[in-house]
Amino acid sequence: MKNFIIVSALFTASVFLFITMIACGSSQKNISDTSYEESEVRIYEVYGMDCPGCHGGLENLVNKVPGVKSSRANWEKQSLQVVLDSENDVDDQSIYEAIKKANFTPGERLQ
Amino acid sequence: MHKIYQITAIALFTAFLLFTELFSFQSASAAGISIDAGLTPAENRWIFRSQVRYMQRDNDQLGSQREMKAYMFPVVIAYGLRSDLTVMARQAFIRREMSMMGQSTTNSGLGDLLMLSKYRLIRINTPGYTLGVAPTLGLEFPTGKDEFTSSSYDLHFGSFFSGRLRSLGMDLNITYIWNGMAETGGAAVDPGNEFSLQAAFAYQVGIGSYSNFALAPVLESSYLKISADSEDGETLADTGESILWLSPGFKITWSSFIFESLVQFPVWQDQEGLQTERDPTFLVGIRLMN
Repeated sequence: MKNFIIVSALFTASVFLFITMIACGSSQKNISDTSYEESEVRIYEVYGMDCPGCHGGLENLVNKVPGVKSSRANWEKQSLQVVLDSENDVDDQSIYEAIKKANFTPGERLQ
Repeated sequence: MHKIYQITAIALFTAFLLFTELFSFQSASAAGISIDAGLTPAENRWIFRSQVRYMQRDNDQLGSQREMKAYMFPVVIAYGLRSDLTVMARQAFIRREMSMMGQSTTNSGLGDLLMLSKYRLIRINTPGYTLGVAPTLGLEFPTGKDEFTSSSYDLHFGSFFSGRLRSLGMDLNITYIWNGMAETGGAAVDPGNEFSLQAAFAYQVGIGSYSNFALAPVLESSYLKISADSEDGETLADTGESILWLSPGFKITWSSFIFESLVQFPVWQDQEGLQTERDPTFLVGIRLMN
């Protein structure tokens, strides 16, 4: 039992190290850092997200759609905010396809 | 650039596992928190999962003071090959100390490699609820160290069911392991097959204004039935067991990280013949997703 506590403590320490490292990396794609100037912002309903862990898979796929600058999902609001490059004409269908590839279901476009 | 941080983090975590090996303790078996098993990940998504599990067996019914303490460090890497198909690989490092009449021996090494696939059979997402059903099929290869390998190709199959009702999550997992499906001739004993049933409940509580942090208390109930081993067609005495666990725990999700912990209390167990009994199993784990 004593050994388990020691190993768990080491394990937990490695977890925090993990989180710190990844937080440093993931902060670069934070939508709040994105300038909205000359950008179009859309909001879609997305069903099927049940925790913050769902965000990354969805955002990665949506971010790959040509013309998408960044995106942010919100599992509690069941929504996805997408920032588009104004120079590209991105159709909703491309966003819907990306949502489906993430195993979620698109609802209405709210904005 | 952030990928460099992720690769560095994984390298550091691997170093941690190697460190614990050098630090040396004891060894183990089994899976972990079963939440989300029925929900297949997004296409092209990587999931890295690792745990520390500690288990112990004592209360020797033979009276020879047999005892076993075991650590297990399973690492699972999963990848969303398509939105409806996930492939996974699981490799565990095991350290086990067995003692009898005051004499003890310690063994450590890798267990067998498990390759598993999961198919999205049903996925229904609505504003009110989510439902997922995903059958699995896998093969365990006899790649482990002598003390930890089954010396056979073992077939794993089962089905995962996941339901979400707003913040309430319910999961049901059924798994069957056909041990000794194809023998390699490395061992005379044919290990018994395993059937397991897990039911899990979790309640997600979002914390903070950005919805990237959530805490979920978890309650699992698990049943495991391991058939008796056999040799030359004859059932071996003092092998085979049935256990029912009740396991409270929690899961913390922060963006692409999940930290989880669980204590499995054996509330009922039926050990065939004169075997040791299982004590509570302790588990802490992480999941990292891209």
